[in-house]
Amino acid sequence: MGKLRAWLEHNSTFFVLAVPLVAATGITFAIGDLLIERIVTVLFIDLVLVLALQVFMGNSGILSFSVAGFMGIGAYGSVLFSMSPAAKAAALPDLYPLLANVQLPFLASVLVGGLLAALVAAVVSYPLMRLSDAAGVITIFSLLVIINVVLVHWSRLTNGPRTLFGVERFTYLGTAAVFALLFLGVAWWFKESSVGLKLRASRDDAHAAAAVGINIVAVRYRAFILSAFMAGFAGALWAHFITSFSPYAFYMSAMFVFLSMLVIGGPMSISGAVIGTVLVTVLREGLRNIENNVNMSGILPSGLVGFTEVVMAVLLVGILILRPSGIMGGRELRWPPRHPRADV
Amino acid sequence: MITLDFIVNALALGSTYALLALGMVIVYGILNLVNFAFGELLMITGYSLFVLSLGPRLPWVVMAVLAVGVAVLTSYLTERVAFRPVREHSPTAMLITSFAVSTLLQNAALLIISPRARGVPLPKLFSMSARVLGQDLPIRNLLAIATSLLLLGLLVLLLRRTVLGIALRAASDNFRMARLLGVPANLVISAAFAISGLLAGVVALFWVGRTASVTPTIGAAPLLVAFVATVIGGMRSLAGAVVGGYIYGIVFSMIGILLPPGMMEFREAFMFIVVILILLFRPEGLVRGAYSTKRVG
Amino acid sequence: MLSVSDLSVRYGAISAVRGVSLAIEEGELVALVGVNGAGKTTTLNAIAGALKPHQGTIAFQNEPIHGRPPEVITRKGIALVPEGRDILPSLSVEENLRLGAFVRHSRSEYQSDLAQMIELFPILGQRLRQAGGTLSGGEQQQLAIARALMSHPRLLMLDEPSLGLSPVLVDQVFELIGRLRGRGVTILLVEQNAERTLQIVDRAYLLRTGRVEAHGTPDHIRSAVDVEGVYLGDRGRTRP
Repeated sequence: MGKLRAWLEHNSTFFVLAVPLVAATGITFAIGDLLIERIVTVLFIDLVLVLALQVFMGNSGILSFSVAGFMGIGAYGSVLFSMSPAAKAAALPDLYPLLANVQLPFLASVLVGGLLAALVAAVVSYPLMRLSDAAGVITIFSLLVIINVVLVHWSRLTNGPRTLFGVERFTYLGTAAVFALLFLGVAWWFKESSVGLKLRASRDDAHAAAAVGINIVAVRYRAFILSAFMAGFAGALWAHFITSFSPYAFYMSAMFVFLSMLVIGGPMSISGAVIGTVLVTVLREGLRNIENNVNMSGILPSGLVGFTEVVMAVLLVGILILRPSGIMGGRELRWPPRHPRADV
Repeated sequence: MITLDFIVNALALGSTYALLALGMVIVYGILNLVNFAFGELLMITGYSLFVLSLGPRLPWVVMAVLAVGVAVLTSYLTERVAFRPVREHSPTAMLITSFAVSTLLQNAALLIISPRARGVPLPKLFSMSARVLGQDLPIRNLLAIATSLLLLGLLVLLLRRTVLGIALRAASDNFRMARLLGVPANLVISAAFAISGLLAGVVALFWVGRTASVTPTIGAAPLLVAFVATVIGGMRSLAGAVVGGYIYGIVFSMIGILLPPGMMEFREAFMFIVVILILLFRPEGLVRGAYSTKRVG
Repeated sequence: MLSVSDLSVRYGAISAVRGVSLAIEEGELVALVGVNGAGKTTTLNAIAGALKPHQGTIAFQNEPIHGRPPEVITRKGIALVPEGRDILPSLSVEENLRLGAFVRHSRSEYQSDLAQMIELFPILGQRLRQAGGTLSGGEQQQLAIARALMSHPRLLMLDEPSLGLSPVLVDQVFELIGRLRGRGVTILLVEQNAERTLQIVDRAYLLRTGRVEAHGTPDHIRSAVDVEGVYLGDRGRTRP
């Protein structure tokens, strides 16, 4: 009994975060409003992406611009398997014969999407993990650009810069909630695992970590692959929610949203990821509401376009100036609540 | 076909790329900041031209000077308002800030002006050609080369002959030591951002000159160019940036005629693969520059 | 002239300097001695403004300077020659010197100052146009000191000037310090070469793990070394 209690206390963060998410799911089902259901579903998918970002960036301290790119790989990778041959013939007439006739069930396709992203990360990123600071950021950013160029131009696979239609809707609130909780657990597990600890040690003091025998490159590599897998998985989920998309959904604008969610919440903790995602989702919905109302009422001649992003950008810079470690400041929510102390 | 027209075109491209790289390195060298908002300075210049064209009829040169001035002011202000308060925190915070500023400026243009492309006034010169050695060369290209050389010359003068220039070079070599010698940090950084804005503004005049229009996302491509050219040049030295820009511009033009059509669309991806390879195996860049290491002896 | 009181400097959670207090009068030659990691460089950097103190006060000529930016402190008359020289490698020797005079405002004085430096350090005169990064270790040390002198500092701080130099050059450095002292320059010297240092200074502070272990005349320090058994670098014990 004592052991169970200790385990529960140690992992209380997960439960403290999971319970409200489960509750939110239940309440949304109860309300039954389609719009709210959509918002919450997207929130859960975004949460997985922000957690993917947190897993690498929060633990290693290196900015990971490529999360949106892996999301794209997961999205396209999974649809290529989940779409029926008929749908593929309609949407991607030049698709390779090998892929044109394959069809996998939804969950398997999503898994394939995630694994594909992880595979690309595994093949490409090992040497990049040696780099820190500006060089590290630029190389990881370059990955985003390269992925985008490939997605835009490999028309046979992706329908090029045009929208890909005909994806079946498989992701609903329940699905998204289940996977959000799952990956919440994964992110928490990773943070507390030995790999996570070593990674954070290297973030705080690279020399000391190396002196203790931590292989910084190997540790970062594993985090990067996990991050890519999660991003790909979430991308696959999203593809089967939105049912039509183009490569530009996986580029800088998306990256900005995920980054602001993590930074506002606080990059160094899971709680920060969750709080940030919820807060930014609510804010963005509110702002978009204002935008739509103004546009429809015709008060302003050219409408209010880009208002949401401007406000979010100002908020992001504000947080960086005033409270750079985010709302949670690196701390995790716990039960019983501890007195403030930065979590290592 | 390597014609005179092709050579001039490649050099013109190289000239604009060199200025872009310089604009990025001048800030990076001092602050270690990769300024994601750099591309947006070109956008701001374009939109300034558009807005100015709505008013009383001014000679194009006047509008151009004013538009570049707006870019300089914007660059200066982004540093004062967004980057300076974050400077003490961490390099990552500054990076994210630059990304946020980029998003802010793009969407501000969307908001204040329009999501649709807007026409930009161009001087008559830009659509004329000059006959040289039996070929018709676009004057726009010749002007690009000449303007770049002029700007580069002025910059060299600034850096070598003036106190500010020496202070800038010192700050770029070793910011901490420069401050210990009495070089005022804020002044030097503001100057760097202002010069960065000037370079971006001038490039913008030629960049929008190709399509005679400006969109909110027009800054994305120049930003990527600046990244690649900067990395080729080694990120630390100003001379390297210029050479890197020319190399990139010329190579890009060559790839344009050498690659088979199927591969052409991917040339941007290739350039970024090159970026990664350089940063991995030769982070000091491909250009053998002047002494660029910090600690000596 | 300079008074440091209860200075604490931290790197993250680690205290490099704790509760250090010291004072220097005009015209004195004072040393900070102690092994690597004792906090000597950190103390100098805090005085020069390159580091922000966590706690404590630093006053120069009765004016508080702790926490102020380095460019302001330099203007007040404190010049630091850092460990590792920190020559600006892409600038020429002459430009390095010109930067040393940055805080001075007189062009005519600059010319005569430059001439003086060339007199003191003839080798620099030969290399005026060369890039600073191409100089040898010893030449860079001379350039760093000359650069600091160009600002007519009221207080000159030298961090390990003999580091990495051959014995002949070390002799030259110490001889130079003596000469500067003779001209009335107030000097705060950090050196690992403790015995050599103790021979020329008026007073010294012995630092260990960020605290002042002992301070006073060179003899006092030497006896403190013996009594405490503190290891003082390669010249350890001084009594036979």
